[in-house]
Amino acid sequence: MALTTAPDPTRRTGSVPTPAGRRGVGRARHGDGLAGYVFLSPWLLGLMAVTAIPMLLSLYLSFTNYDILTPFSEVEWVGFANYERMFTADPSYWHSVRVTLTFALIAVPLKLAAALGVALLLNRAWRGVGLFRGLFYLPSLLGGSVALAIVWVNMFNREGAFNSLLSVFGIEGKPWVNDPDWALETLMVLAIWQFGAPMVIFLAGLKQVPTELYEAASVDGAGKWRQFVAVTLPMLSPVIFFNLVLETINGFQGFTAAFVLSNGTGGPVDSTLMYTLNLYITGFTNLEMGYASAMAWVFLLAIALITVIFFSTGRFWVHYSDGEDR
Amino acid sequence: MHPATPPTTGTHAVPAYRTPVRRRRLIRGMLAAVVALPLVLGAAGCGDDEASTDPNAPVKLSIFWWGGEARAKLTEEALALYTKKNPNVTFEKTWQANQGYFDKLATLTAGGNPPDLFQIDDNYLAEYASRSTTLDLTPYKDSGDLDVSKFPKSLWQYGVVDGKLAGLASGENTQGLVYNKTLLTKNGLPEPTTGMTWDAYIAWAEQVTKKTKVPGTQDPSADYKAFWVWLRQQGKDLYKGQELGFTAEDVTKWFDLWKGARDRGATPTPDVIHEGNATDITKQLVVTGKAGASWVWVNQMPELKKNTKDELGVIAYPGDPSAQWARASMYWSVFKGSKHKDVAVDVINFLNNDPEAVKILGTDRGLPSNLDLRRVVSDDVTDPAMKQSIQVESDLAEKFGEAPQVPLKGHSKVRAELIKAAENAQYGRASSAEAAEQFIAACKSAIA
Amino acid sequence: MTATATPTATPATPAPRGPRRARGGGGQAVRLLILIAIVAVVLYPLFWMIGTSLKSQEEIVNNIGLLPNEFTPGNYADGWTNFDFSFGRFFLNSAMVSLLTVVGNGVSCLLAAYAFARLRFRLRGVWFAVMIGTLLLPGHVLIVPQYILFRSLGLVGGEWPYLPLLIPQFLATEAFFVFLMVQFMRGIPRELDEAAKIDGANAFGIFRHVILPLSRPALVTTAIFSFIWTWNDFFRQLVFLSDLEDYTVPVALTLFIDSTSQSAVGPMFAMSVLSLLPVFLFFVAFQRMLVEGINTSGLKG
Repeated sequence: MALTTAPDPTRRTGSVPTPAGRRGVGRARHGDGLAGYVFLSPWLLGLMAVTAIPMLLSLYLSFTNYDILTPFSEVEWVGFANYERMFTADPSYWHSVRVTLTFALIAVPLKLAAALGVALLLNRAWRGVGLFRGLFYLPSLLGGSVALAIVWVNMFNREGAFNSLLSVFGIEGKPWVNDPDWALETLMVLAIWQFGAPMVIFLAGLKQVPTELYEAASVDGAGKWRQFVAVTLPMLSPVIFFNLVLETINGFQGFTAAFVLSNGTGGPVDSTLMYTLNLYITGFTNLEMGYASAMAWVFLLAIALITVIFFSTGRFWVHYSDGEDR
Repeated sequence: MHPATPPTTGTHAVPAYRTPVRRRRLIRGMLAAVVALPLVLGAAGCGDDEASTDPNAPVKLSIFWWGGEARAKLTEEALALYTKKNPNVTFEKTWQANQGYFDKLATLTAGGNPPDLFQIDDNYLAEYASRSTTLDLTPYKDSGDLDVSKFPKSLWQYGVVDGKLAGLASGENTQGLVYNKTLLTKNGLPEPTTGMTWDAYIAWAEQVTKKTKVPGTQDPSADYKAFWVWLRQQGKDLYKGQELGFTAEDVTKWFDLWKGARDRGATPTPDVIHEGNATDITKQLVVTGKAGASWVWVNQMPELKKNTKDELGVIAYPGDPSAQWARASMYWSVFKGSKHKDVAVDVINFLNNDPEAVKILGTDRGLPSNLDLRRVVSDDVTDPAMKQSIQVESDLAEKFGEAPQVPLKGHSKVRAELIKAAENAQYGRASSAEAAEQFIAACKSAIA
Repeated sequence: MTATATPTATPATPAPRGPRRARGGGGQAVRLLILIAIVAVVLYPLFWMIGTSLKSQEEIVNNIGLLPNEFTPGNYADGWTNFDFSFGRFFLNSAMVSLLTVVGNGVSCLLAAYAFARLRFRLRGVWFAVMIGTLLLPGHVLIVPQYILFRSLGLVGGEWPYLPLLIPQFLATEAFFVFLMVQFMRGIPRELDEAAKIDGANAFGIFRHVILPLSRPALVTTAIFSFIWTWNDFFRQLVFLSDLEDYTVPVALTLFIDSTSQSAVGPMFAMSVLSLLPVFLFFVAFQRMLVEGINTSGLKG
């Protein structure tokens, strides 16, 4: 870790010597083999019985013309036709890719920043902090409910509350949700507004930072900012990493908000046609589930690539207290 | 641990790309094995035998419909009546709102578990019928077990897909132009009338805008049902056989008609038009006060009325009303693999032709299909808005033309594409001709 | 170094900056005001929602202001009794499914996470990658295959129709939580394991005595999310539940509005507001456990 004045986190248990040498001793490389699989067994069973079969089925279906209504036995194998169509003959597919990239690139960082900022504000224990946390979490409780759609449209249409707010400052608003140039931005605001989940994860992460580290830093004369940079950030990095990975995946999958706001259409004029919304419409409304499955698998590969990049950069900035910084 | 390793499941797709045929076949075989697994398991689970021949053997019929609470109450009451008359038949009832209805119906069908009897509309009838999901009701119609003798001919025919009777109309409705009467009378403006030309109508709307500051009419260029009526007045249709029944030229004309209307201020601005393009009753501009008239179905009048204090009027769409037809607002269909086909058909017959049942159901799914019973039910109606819509529909029924063919599969995509193209033109992102080209291209791939 | 810790650092007041932060209440008040201002903006849509739940049907469509002109509390009574079963029934169903999901996720994901975070065994990296991979496929293409699978296993539409919703939760299929817990566990110093190992603990002992107690923040977070997300999940519950009496809150909420034939928006808003209460309370109750800091030094004994 490049953070020079950081109090060495491994020192926090003081009396125990650095375990680097000890770990290899006594146990073979796969020494916990049995225990490992015992603990892993529920997940493995779930993978085999619940997750893997549907996933592989969808992979298979991506090479067919499956339309949901036709029984599997009559499904036709079409080779790579679905994939070809996606890459060569479907302009709305590429449109949805652009929409999704724009959305994720802007909304994800802003949402994470909002979540971290508020989490830092609400980290300290003071009377009423629980209430404030609850209040900030409230928007996320709405999820993608029917009511939310109505609420959001009424905040951001021409006569909406947002424009009333703007008019206080003498700014003339736009029909945000109904304007194809701005509808996606409205969607981003919605996504950022529901920052509760990463906020809670940040809060939980902050709680895990051992208090002694701050004490130590403070004894060393580190100021507030210094403490944040030298203690909070590195100690929080696994959680930041988690939020970054998950919110990115989430951002790319962003379905609910787009579905709710556009009534499931991706409108106006496809301006909110997110990848997964396009996929849903293709699969369920147009009954082209084979094609939708192909879209899903291309999506998986793309996101896997991004995730791999995250994991490989993670080793440079994510600090794990278990000593396995990789 | 190497978290950076891509998920193994994900790698299957990649090597298959460039592998020689033999390996590809192997992969395909493996996948097929995975696919077969649930089916094998499934076969073990489906041990029930065919329905017994004893007519009094107990039958449990599953039935699935969308709608609100009111519809659920009425339907349950009618089904209870059936059980009372046929004690061996009971029902497993599932109902939900239309949101997600077809997603669930499709999923149930895929799982080999569709309901014996289900509600469906003309959006999806061809999709289901062309995949042999629905039972052909023709033999039952011919034998009289399914009595359509009192139906308007064009109404039951609007359930025929590829020569098979795929669903039986559970009610009738037709296009209706709903306008705000209060707004007009307050400003001393005339009401629009059935049969006025499109140009006259747009001129009327322009006048409304000028006088009331409320845009005279919603712009229906994104509305397939308005487009459809207009097409039929031009001697065209939405579909002809397995093809589109119109050309890019027709679409351009249609879009230009409404571009003219927008330029003259007869309609609201594009963002408001977009709001009104949603099918929800609560978003219709005539009830939200953002336009003087909305393009709906006649039988939606009573529900529209609940959302506004103003008086509403309803007429046919502009132009020659004989372009409208007796449309099945929805159908009942029977799952082809049902174990109780005969009973299911009998239930449909009961819901449409039994005087008591029809009286219970009222006009909830549209006007009763059985004309004799329609008269009886109409006389009983007290709700003024419903009376009004029945009146208008009965008047129109005398002018109805032939029903068009049931929309092809891919119709829901065609509808969505029309909205997209029309809005492109409305927002000024494309000329009428460009939007029309775009629409035609999308339609062709949708119904291919 | 722990020896120098201020003795006042009790779990309830983890902020260790005591000496420096002894400034007066003025700054405090300003910060509170700023917070309240932010909250007001953030919550305005929710106030609007409550306002709308008190409007008449006709006003909902035409009055987009915050407050109703005509106060209509009857929406609550109407919504509650709108169906053959009172809305309380749907609340109970949702609560049951959500609570069982909390238990299932908590237990199964914790076990898996411990294996991934702490134990060494063959193919660990591969399994971990597979686990992350299951997060990446858009769920909509899995619904139909999953339905087919569960149906062939005879789990759909049984006497107790919630099995297809719950079984996966007890098998740690929510990779999100496994990954979350792994990340948290990796924040727990390995020296604690080593110390326990020296005391003769095996993998199970370490799990029981070191990891489990220290995983509270992760468990609390998992509990909160499991509960809330299940409470709000619509699609899966819609697909697997078919009987009105089994419906959960999100499914029941959609029943108020059938876009082409019915528009009971007022009652729907009223029930939506009510449905926020249980999750809000659940959150406030559980977040308390996030207030208290973790003092690792206290755990060695």
